[in-house]
Amino acid sequence: MKDPAQQWLVDRASPPGMLGCGLRRPDGKFVCRSVEEICPPAKLEKLLEQFATLRAVVFAGRFSPRWSTWAFEQGQIRFVPRSDGWLLALVVRTESDALPSLDPLSQEFLALDLGR
Amino acid sequence: MASATNNQPPRQVLFVDDEPDFLLLVKENFGVLSAGHWCLHGASTADAALELLKQQKLDLVVVDVNMPLLDGIQFLNLLAKRFPDLKKVTLTAFASEEKRSACLAAGAELFIEKPHSDEGFKSVYAMLDDLMNWVPQQGFQGMLRRVGLQDVIQMECLGRNSSVLEIYNEHVLGRIYIEDGNIIHAAGGELTGERALQRLLALPGGSFELVPFEAPPENSISGPWEFLLMEAARVRDEIAAQKIPGEPEVDPKTLAAPTTVSVRVMETLICSGTGKPLYDAECTNVESRVTLLKTVAQHAAQLAQILPLGNFDRLEMQLADGRAIAQTRPDRLVFVSVTNLPASP
Repeated sequence: MKDPAQQWLVDRASPPGMLGCGLRRPDGKFVCRSVEEICPPAKLEKLLEQFATLRAVVFAGRFSPRWSTWAFEQGQIRFVPRSDGWLLALVVRTESDALPSLDPLSQEFLALDLGR
Repeated sequence: MASATNNQPPRQVLFVDDEPDFLLLVKENFGVLSAGHWCLHGASTADAALELLKQQKLDLVVVDVNMPLLDGIQFLNLLAKRFPDLKKVTLTAFASEEKRSACLAAGAELFIEKPHSDEGFKSVYAMLDDLMNWVPQQGFQGMLRRVGLQDVIQMECLGRNSSVLEIYNEHVLGRIYIEDGNIIHAAGGELTGERALQRLLALPGGSFELVPFEAPPENSISGPWEFLLMEAARVRDEIAAQKIPGEPEVDPKTLAAPTTVSVRVMETLICSGTGKPLYDAECTNVESRVTLLKTVAQHAAQLAQILPLGNFDRLEMQLADGRAIAQTRPDRLVFVSVTNLPASP
């Protein structure tokens, strides 16, 4: 049986236009799901690690966003941190059906019971 | 070694370039142009430059982008870490948008093409001298004022600039095109022309961004911008007077009535690509916002190295009571924060 985090990624985080998604656990381990080749699990892990490290630098003393979206020409990366240490990354194509689902998925992730 | 001709000590300027001929040209030209106000240093490698930086306090380092071993962008990153307060400029013989973005993201204040003529050297000298004289703390004081859409348009027209003003709130996206200081086109919802301009300027709330000029699909507006803005102000007052309490304010198609506007712009900061504040409205800490914008640009470049998704445009932050957007483009840095207002009953 898959763990709840992995199950959630498979069940929910795969609307059309999603390139990949991943979670960084509080213990620093990753659960990643690549949807398109451009976004393999190794890159998702790097993105999550990079954001986990840089988050404090970027927002230091200025903001504590519930989530942040880095918008590039061809895609957007949404990072959603939780106070219990979980971090979600969603990578979607610009102007795809996945874009409108970013907010609901982020909300859902924040409320998700992921255990320890 | 040059000497100062007034009370100020000469500016210490280091040029880092692997072409000895260019370093010679730099010394000859800028030596004459600065008339003793600049003390020029040259280094043909990053190592030599770092060695000099250890020994000498410098005001400016000008780096060639294309250097062997440690290229200009890597060197800029290194300088940004070791000497964060040092002003840095990149010179290149082959400019490209990609290089420009990478250099600015790596902390360069300016990205300039190498000069090839006397006029070119004069122009570059003026830019570099201006950069060294610019003190951010003094630069933005006195610019603090409440800003509206009309103010921004006025600023663009007075400056005879060409730009596109994108105006949006949660229901509406509109554009006002300004070319050489003239308002030439406006579009929003199903409206175009003066009517669109008037309705966009009458919007009760939202955000706006100045983006580089692009040709509009049509030229729907003509006439002096002063009259256009006066007429728009009149229409806005009329709309405000006719507004029925409790009625929604803007229709996304006609920009006229329904739908509740539920955000208010709290803070706006527009900077040049180098982070020089150009426009500021109720920004609580300009310096901190400029730092944020530069940090965002740097980290976006790092994310882009992991996953190539094209040029970075903006960072959107969902806050507890609103949203903030940090847009970093090569020629413009923009910060806007909005707060959610309680919806009308």
